[in-house]
Amino acid sequence: MKFLSDFSNIFKRYDLDTEVKKQEARKISDDPVLDAIGKFVVEGEAEDIEAPVKKALETKAPMDVINDGLVKGMNEVSRLWDEGVYFLPQVILAADAMNAGIALCEAKMGKAMDRKGKVVTHTAEGDIHDIGQVIANALLNAGGFEVINLGCDCPVDTVVATVKAEKPIMVTGTALMTTTMTAFPKICHQLEAAGIVIPFISGGGAVAEEWSTSFPLSIWGKEDGWSCGLAEDALAGMGWEDMRSKWNG
Amino acid sequence: MNSKERVLAVLNHQKPDRMPCFTANSTVTYDQMEKVGAYWPEGHDQAEPMAKQAMAAYTILGFDVVRAPFDQMTEAEALGAKVKSGGEKGIPGAAEPPVYTIDDIPPKELPADYLSRARIPELLKAITIMKKELGDEVLIEAGIIGPFSIAAYLLGVTKTLKASLKAPDKLLPFLEISEKAGTALAHALIDAGADIIANEDMTASPDIIMPKSYHDLVYQFQAKQFEEINVPTILHICGDVGSIIEWEGKSGPDILSLEPATDLKLAREIVGPKPIFMGGADAAKVLFMKTPDEVKAACREQVEAGIQILAPGCAVAPGTPTENLIAMVEVAKSYTS
Ligand code: B12
Ligand SMILES: [Zn+2]
Repeated sequence: MKFLSDFSNIFKRYDLDTEVKKQEARKISDDPVLDAIGKFVVEGEAEDIEAPVKKALETKAPMDVINDGLVKGMNEVSRLWDEGVYFLPQVILAADAMNAGIALCEAKMGKAMDRKGKVVTHTAEGDIHDIGQVIANALLNAGGFEVINLGCDCPVDTVVATVKAEKPIMVTGTALMTTTMTAFPKICHQLEAAGIVIPFISGGGAVAEEWSTSFPLSIWGKEDGWSCGLAEDALAGMGWEDMRSKWNG
Repeated sequence: MNSKERVLAVLNHQKPDRMPCFTANSTVTYDQMEKVGAYWPEGHDQAEPMAKQAMAAYTILGFDVVRAPFDQMTEAEALGAKVKSGGEKGIPGAAEPPVYTIDDIPPKELPADYLSRARIPELLKAITIMKKELGDEVLIEAGIIGPFSIAAYLLGVTKTLKASLKAPDKLLPFLEISEKAGTALAHALIDAGADIIANEDMTASPDIIMPKSYHDLVYQFQAKQFEEINVPTILHICGDVGSIIEWEGKSGPDILSLEPATDLKLAREIVGPKPIFMGGADAAKVLFMKTPDEVKAACREQVEAGIQILAPGCAVAPGTPTENLIAMVEVAKSYTS
């Protein structure tokens, strides 16, 4: 194809070569098997990760494999994402690899791993922009929380009903459109009316800080990297008002 | 100069009487719907209301070009994707599940009846109505969707993002048919009366995929597409496109539609003098949320930085106040030559 002829330099010029980026990943563990597990998370290899996870499970407790290999790998992915080295596809693939590893560990334990608390996540009704939510799910999952993922285009009533049934420590919403973000105050008012007082994180490109903090329960979630910090505060019993003054300006 | 002469002057790299104002994306708002008495959801799938809503950009706002359609599902729906209506307030979007998995191989050629599928016939009719009503004074713009975004609608966005890294080869046949779908639609739109073709490829944004994926996967198809379209073209990719703008420029559109996130001075250095820069106030954070004065300030800043056609940064949010859009036109009017 004629238009591809003159591009031999692009990788060097823009530093776009993924091989270069990979080298920026830090060592995960001094234990070679755990390091391999972490590395496969960082590289998003959901298939290749199985062998080292199985090998590690021969000698190590499943929760150690999760915490010292899989989650450490995902923490490294968060760092690379925060620093702008990683793009969305890498984060999504890393989450897949981590989840594949966790599934093997859970099979070995014969039960689901103990989680710190439940977080209900959703993308607003009418909104299919769910990438921010997908990333939040991955980070919360890696942070040891149980994610109840309601997916995109999720009706207000479904969110409220799920919160009533599941009793999570926190709810999150992602909205990228000015036409859909109006669902958040509706959810918060309905929760309040039902006597449920839990933090609601308003996330997504459409919502600004000023708006997010204009209705009860809501705290502005500026970036996905905040997900676990917010959930930890909720878990520790911090109320939404205190969380708002801590995280928002 | 009337609007048509003004825009033609800019397209020919000549001096217009003043800066033009129009956009690569949707212009429809609830307020304009009220004013022209045509509403959603009909405006998304019936020629008459669609044309009325598009023409409001000229008759109500004073934009220099009118443009349809207002959603991004036209080609994907005609290729079999299921669409969820947005009702009276929203915009049609992709419904789950996507038509294909990444292990499928899509058809190599478009179905013989492609142009009579889904909402394409009504869109073509709308363009013809717009041409007949306003064609003497205003250029008619029609939108197609870029190959990467169509492919993402056919496969699902998350799956497409994964494939961009792990199985780029499997994406190629999807990009190929998506390019053909956009190009065939463009040809039909031109036959129906379109003077300008805008290509929106939101999912190809560096906010979403790696710049390397844009170069390796998207660029060649966009270049092929622009080569096959023989009217002036616009390329719109969302977000800060600094890392891909060289290739956007080389793909050959006449106009690059840029969001304020992109550094315009740097962009100009990279692409050279030829592509015309279109842009202005951020569609969501400024046009929708701020006051007319703030809109004006944001627009002026962008013009000073190198914008040649004033425009909302991206699709106009339907709740945007009319006075904010008119404020933009006023800024354009203040830049005379
Ligand atoms: C990719 C994209 C798409 C993809 C979406 C793919 C997907 N599955 O998500 C596709 C092509 C499908 C799409 C479609 C449309 N899109 Co679109 N799209 C975008 C784009 C380019 C990027 C959005 C994105 O994913 N960003 C990356 C993610 C990670 O960002 P984010 O979700 O905001 O998350 C960040 C924070 O908000 C926060 N966050 C988010 N959630 C959470 C949760 C927690 C707990 C925390 C702590 C933080 C947090 O963390 C993230 C950063 O770390 C934007 C423009 C832009 N550059 O922003 C337009 C944009 C969002 N789209 C827009 C529009 C209008 C549309 C369409 C209606 C287009 C049309 N005319 O048909 C359709 C929507 C149909 C529908 N009913 O939903 C508009 C919305 C305007 C508005 N504000 O009202 C935008 C803003 C473009 C514009 N006009 O300016 N789009
Ligand atoms: Zn855009």
